[in-house]
Amino acid sequence: MKRPPAVTDLIEELKRMPGIGQKTAERLSFFVMRGSNERANKLADAVRNIKEKIILCSQCHGITEINPCEICRDPKRDPSIVCVVEEPHDVYAMENMGHFRGVYHVLMGVISPLDGIGPSELTIEALKERVMKDNIQEVVLATNPDMEGESTAVYIAKILKPANIKVTRIARGLPVGGDIEYADEVTLLKSLEGRTEMN
Amino acid sequence: MPLFNTEAIVLRSINLSETDKLVTFLSAHFGKVKCVAKAARKMKNRFGAALEPMSHIRLIYFGKENQTLYRLNHSDIIHSFQPIRDDLLKVYTGIYFNELIDTLIPEAHPDPKAYQLLLESLLVLESRDSLETLSRLFEMRLMVLTGYTPQLSHCSICKGLPGTERIGFSFERRGIVCEPCSFKAQPEMRFQAGTLNYLKKLKTMDIKHASRLKFPKSAELEIEQLTHRLILSYTGRELKSYPFIKNMAKIMDTKL
Repeated sequence: MKRPPAVTDLIEELKRMPGIGQKTAERLSFFVMRGSNERANKLADAVRNIKEKIILCSQCHGITEINPCEICRDPKRDPSIVCVVEEPHDVYAMENMGHFRGVYHVLMGVISPLDGIGPSELTIEALKERVMKDNIQEVVLATNPDMEGESTAVYIAKILKPANIKVTRIARGLPVGGDIEYADEVTLLKSLEGRTEMN
Repeated sequence: MPLFNTEAIVLRSINLSETDKLVTFLSAHFGKVKCVAKAARKMKNRFGAALEPMSHIRLIYFGKENQTLYRLNHSDIIHSFQPIRDDLLKVYTGIYFNELIDTLIPEAHPDPKAYQLLLESLLVLESRDSLETLSRLFEMRLMVLTGYTPQLSHCSICKGLPGTERIGFSFERRGIVCEPCSFKAQPEMRFQAGTLNYLKKLKTMDIKHASRLKFPKSAELEIEQLTHRLILSYTGRELKSYPFIKNMAKIMDTKL
């Protein structure tokens, strides 16, 4: 027996989401179907709102409902330090740490030759303008420590060189709780290069 | 389920689902292989930096023979080519080599010569600054190894010797065309007779001796046009990294 079209539609839509296969989509669909109308409406509203209310901050290109975003508006933040991240969700990963008091700049991706993404597809020019205009003293490059992230960081560092400001890269190396015995040569090399003095 | 143990070079690594990666390797013994690396995107993953493109690694993977996707079990770095990663244009040239291999080499066809060519090219790239001549040599050597050798010694129609001035080349015939035959196959490109000698040299030269190679400026452009159009005629599409490198070189010339 075929499923009613409404159930099939929901399953098909849920399957498009990352990490959700047929079985999970079926389980979620039946969960929504069995739940109250109020709960289903709340879910529908939340999905609609994320498309209707979320915009990109004109300063940092992070996601927000009000422009400029909460972080860019916060007077307690230090606007002279900018942390450059790849995607909007990386801002929240950094914020969860709770120790960074500067502001952010979201690149909206990384330079990737095989995906045809060059510097002009990212917000690198906007970053450069921000650095020239906003009296920024330090740019912290927090792109992922993979090949695309590293080469994007190298490119940004080169492009910001004429501005004569401090450009730093987040440390790469051993993860906390890791074991040196199992670290590969590149990770160990990076951790040795990024070693700090103990006082 | 058999376990495969081989040396390999990472060609490409793309994200798959929440935490996995789909990695393409050119292995020394089993040709081009695709593997799923479970949980490779997690911070404390067991593969570390071994799955970064261009890494020369020893890998162990398993799966049924002749299947298209295997499961990666273990990887150790033999050589990471770190000096390439510190130079933007070298990184992009290495990616171009990888994309060419990925496009011209079919899956699961052992090709130790192509593997050796890529490995040696990356070793040369690590220490060499003249990226253009190395790229041309790599392109031609790979075409020779994969059976796409252009006919450069005699006319591809009458087998006669080429002229001594401008030489015609037909991409349809995949070879040079002498003047009398040019009405049968209209040459799509013409180059100087001197360029032909450089092209012949590219066909046979060992990549390890790339440093001995130097082209005059006029021949450099003709050689690049020819190899690029030859690759286009074999692949049927423009590789993504080729225009990217050109564009980046221009940006870095003007902005940096």
